Amino acid sequence: MASYDVMPDVQLYQPAEMDDALELADRFGRDGWILGGGQDTYGWLKDRAKHPKAMIDLNGIEALRGVRKSDDGIEIGAVTTLREIIRNETVNAEYELLALAAGRVASPQIRNVGTLGGNLSQDARCWYYRRGLACYRAGGNICYADSPQGMNREHAVFGASRCVAVSPSDTAIAMVALDATMVVQSVDGERLVPAERFFVGPATHITKMTSMRPGEILTAVRIPSTWAGARFYFEKVADRDVWDFALVSIAAAMQVDNGTIGDSRIVCGGVACTPHRLRDAEKALAGKSLSDETAEFVAPLASRGAKPLNYNHFKLPLLESLLRRAVRG
Amino acid sequence: MPCEVSVVEIATYKNDVWGREVLLGVSWELLWLVIVVPFVFIALHAIFQASRRKKEKPSSGGERVRRHDGVDRLFHWVMAASVFVLLITGVFPIIGINFSWLTIHWVAGIVLTLAVVFHIVRSLFWQDLKSMWIAPSDLRELSDTTRKPGKYSLAQKGMHATVAILTLMVIISGLILFAMIDTPWWDRSNALTEATLGMMFFLHGVATLALIALICLHIYFGLRPEKLFYTRSMISGWISRDELAANHDPKRWAPDKSV
Repeated sequence: MASYDVMPDVQLYQPAEMDDALELADRFGRDGWILGGGQDTYGWLKDRAKHPKAMIDLNGIEALRGVRKSDDGIEIGAVTTLREIIRNETVNAEYELLALAAGRVASPQIRNVGTLGGNLSQDARCWYYRRGLACYRAGGNICYADSPQGMNREHAVFGASRCVAVSPSDTAIAMVALDATMVVQSVDGERLVPAERFFVGPATHITKMTSMRPGEILTAVRIPSTWAGARFYFEKVADRDVWDFALVSIAAAMQVDNGTIGDSRIVCGGVACTPHRLRDAEKALAGKSLSDETAEFVAPLASRGAKPLNYNHFKLPLLESLLRRAVRG
Repeated sequence: MPCEVSVVEIATYKNDVWGREVLLGVSWELLWLVIVVPFVFIALHAIFQASRRKKEKPSSGGERVRRHDGVDRLFHWVMAASVFVLLITGVFPIIGINFSWLTIHWVAGIVLTLAVVFHIVRSLFWQDLKSMWIAPSDLRELSDTTRKPGKYSLAQKGMHATVAILTLMVIISGLILFAMIDTPWWDRSNALTEATLGMMFFLHGVATLALIALICLHIYFGLRPEKLFYTRSMISGWISRDELAANHDPKRWAPDKSV
């Protein structure tokens, strides 16, 4: 597959109003490409692996930018950059989990331009798929990663269905842990999608990572106050500390009262095609104290039901270890 | 000035890992064709039938004779249900209605396979196989409209034979594709070459498209007023002596079981 230094011939639209963007998204449908920071976009286009007719750049729409307080939590515009989120006072004071997750995305340069919407909507990072091969995810009928010779060290250990690619987004697991709601708009109106249902696995839709339909735009993310000020833990393990995707990551939000855990939401990245909630561990943690004993008790639950591929068995102890670190005293 | 003709492709192709063009599967653009064409035929047929003089409808009262045993009716409806589930789970995601379909699809596929195996064994050893076999003498029904059929008309035999071939095609290709996914009994295999996989997807898709068209016709004819007694017999098992006499040649089919 050839890779080019220059962009292909694609019509660029830079609407300044939301209505114009929605009209463009509706007009171009599947042939339109919604552009945030462009960090997932330009590679696809330069590799000539995706061929949109029009690119709809949302960065000129002020309404889609910034962190706003709402009656029940906060709302973050989809083209708010990751850097803005990391430095936002409210996010740091009440929803630190998101700031921690955003702070581990890629590199400082990418966080300067990369947007929340783009990070949440980014496509799978399986290199067979990125290479432009006609695998399941590209509309074909084979998975190159899940073959006897396939290199699948970074791939899924949960929830694979023909395709074994994982969700690459660091902020996605924080959003699921914070029980966020995605605001999705089209010319037909607004749709509110819980973060857990926003991300879809290959069993439901093998060529997409999210439940967004052609013509729709992710405009904002609402984070409820339910988990504001909770005890948070975020950790990402990658081959490199900078500019790399998670081998395994964990985002935990726990209501802790006098050292006793109440409700919790613990979500892992890099292990499944969507952010993977550790529901068994969440149930087991209820009523337990934050301690090394509790950590040892729940850790094996993290890898329960996992189906590792040829080269990613290492993710299981890594996953258990991250859960152990999230809940120890 | 050249005239551009838009042609719907039957198959789709892709480049394999070595850059060679291989078959990917059937072109699902044909889906609209296999729905529109039967409905056009149905509309024309319905208009034609409405314009003809109505024949007197035989009475459904009086003595009843058995047309289908209970077990055969059960097979028919199990097969119908499984085919509908297979079509919904197979086709809906293609037209953009997305849900977690794969497990439901293969479970329904197993139900269909078992039902068909049961039907084959039963028809070979416990039923009159010849009653559904197309014999040369049946072809006279094409030219002689007064000739009455035995238990099944030429059209019914033709429909059965076509559905049988397509169902076997979809089952065999489906079972091969079944080996390529995770199930409770085995882990998925990538043992087939991309070309072989593509051929299996193509056969599976072609058979599916043809079955969609045939099912549209089958339902239409099953609901036509003059054929409705056949549908009733597939539910209740019987037809009346009048219906038998009006539609079948007693020399070629003389059911001995009264209900």
